[in-house]
Amino acid sequence: MTFVASNVTKTFGGLTALSKVSLELRPGEVHGLIGPNGSGKTTLLNLLSGYYRPDGGAITLEGLDISESSVQQRASLGVARTFQKPRLLPTLSVLDNAMLGGWRDAKAGFFASAFSLPSVRGDEAGLRHRAEELLHGVGLSRVIGRRANLLEHAEQRFLEIARGLAQRPRFLLLDEPAGGLTPAEIGHLGAILQVVRRTGIGVLLVEHHTDFVFRVSDRVTTLDVGSVIRQGTPEEVRNDPDVIRVYLGA
Amino acid sequence: MTPASRKIALALTVLALVTLPWWSGDLYKLHLAALIGAYWVLIGGLNLVVGYSGQLSIGHVGLLAIGAYCFTILAGPHGVHPALAIAAAGGLCGLCGLLLGLPSLRLPGFYFAMATLAFALIVTEITLAQGDLTGGGIGLAVPSLPAPFDTPQGSYWLILAIAALVTWLTWNIARYTWGRGLIAIRDSVVTAQAVGVPVFRAKLTVFVASGVTAGVAGALFAVLQSYITPDTFIFELGLFFFVCIIIGGRGHILGPLLGTVVLTALPELVAPLAKLGTFFYGLLLLVVVLLVPEGIGRVFEVIVEHFRPRKPESHVVSPDLDRLARAIASSPSDPR
Repeated sequence: MTFVASNVTKTFGGLTALSKVSLELRPGEVHGLIGPNGSGKTTLLNLLSGYYRPDGGAITLEGLDISESSVQQRASLGVARTFQKPRLLPTLSVLDNAMLGGWRDAKAGFFASAFSLPSVRGDEAGLRHRAEELLHGVGLSRVIGRRANLLEHAEQRFLEIARGLAQRPRFLLLDEPAGGLTPAEIGHLGAILQVVRRTGIGVLLVEHHTDFVFRVSDRVTTLDVGSVIRQGTPEEVRNDPDVIRVYLGA
Repeated sequence: MTPASRKIALALTVLALVTLPWWSGDLYKLHLAALIGAYWVLIGGLNLVVGYSGQLSIGHVGLLAIGAYCFTILAGPHGVHPALAIAAAGGLCGLCGLLLGLPSLRLPGFYFAMATLAFALIVTEITLAQGDLTGGGIGLAVPSLPAPFDTPQGSYWLILAIAALVTWLTWNIARYTWGRGLIAIRDSVVTAQAVGVPVFRAKLTVFVASGVTAGVAGALFAVLQSYITPDTFIFELGLFFFVCIIIGGRGHILGPLLGTVVLTALPELVAPLAKLGTFFYGLLLLVVVLLVPEGIGRVFEVIVEHFRPRKPESHVVSPDLDRLARAIASSPSDPR
């Protein structure tokens, strides 16, 4: 049950964004991905979630090659993600935004929905309940009915995580979830990630805050100019001379 | 509003609409109400396309024309039962929606709008050119509906019932998962993809549905007009449908319904406005887009929110980790 990028290469025009990068996400493990700006972290996340197709190498989920699968197909296989700049539906409530994550679970067809069949109403109630519980869980109890465009930055970030969890993912890919958060909020984020990890979901944590990554990750990969320079436990990566030279800069 | 007061308001509205023939005063106002109903059958379906999935179709007048001619030709010269002819108009326009949507819904917004514009213009030319079928520029007399729908009151009630059905169906689409999926397509395609919404298929589904309602609306519209020519389906009518939704507000059901009522009735009932004609629509559109870009539907929401008791604002995020763990482990079908 792993989600693997093996030797993936991605080029944009003449520019090589990623060159033969390999990375393995395992269930119940937080995998940190760090690197300077432009090192290819988000490119790798986009390759895993399906917004980009690799130019070389393969993306496999449990041994199944999904390199050419669409974003939606990967979502149905259990891949969820958040965005560097939160992408919420501004006119909908916080609850509706979280419930959007349940699209795959609400198997309602167009006609069944139009005629409000009992199965649709049942699905809807189940989805609503689960989304509410997730929102209480990530700490958004107070804003559950508020329009998403009125949220503070941290609330938007946590709502994206709740929406991702509403997808009942096997792997959750987070693109700089700590960006713009206060130290206290980063603490909450870390606690949430530990819970997510304990439930058996594999997490990819793309992040700038290296201290945070070393604290919450089981394994860490460091990228520089599109290549992996070190992969290992937080301890190994933190003390690697190359990592210190190119990234930590001390 | 509490659920109870909402139910009372709904019941009073239904009562007022059903009894309209007795208190409207004259037949002209009744005709106007029926016309609003026929327009709404189309606009209600179009609302899912424009207001929810954000696809800017300005060519639905073409589908209205096809529905109107289909009904008139089948129920007139061919002697098909009018009920069947109405259903056929809906079916044919659903098919036209499919054929138009398949290539054009993949286009980015502006080009999609142009494709629907081209469609409406082509339909007008075809109705003019196919004189043997459509009567060309001379037009066709529309057969009347069978009893009890052959009186102004009867046709009004029939249209009211169909319009109510369309309102209920679109409201159901809007309030469940489909509504959220469509709004995701409108506001952030990237998010829609991330949660697994099949973007193209969802757009096509609502477009075909809007074709069906446009076809049915065309049949009802033809009955109200009693005589149709290509000039009945001028392009401004397509623009009018679009404007009703924009003024009403995207992502609402009630707003566009109100927009339809106001834009249809006001110029007819207030004589000075009638002189202004299209200028009135333009002015109203300008005022709405500049002052309340989210439409009159949003104005009502804001008023309701204003009178709702407010909880003190707090932006402290405080996770409940045990509850989170239970929620993640639960499945939506678990007993609650």
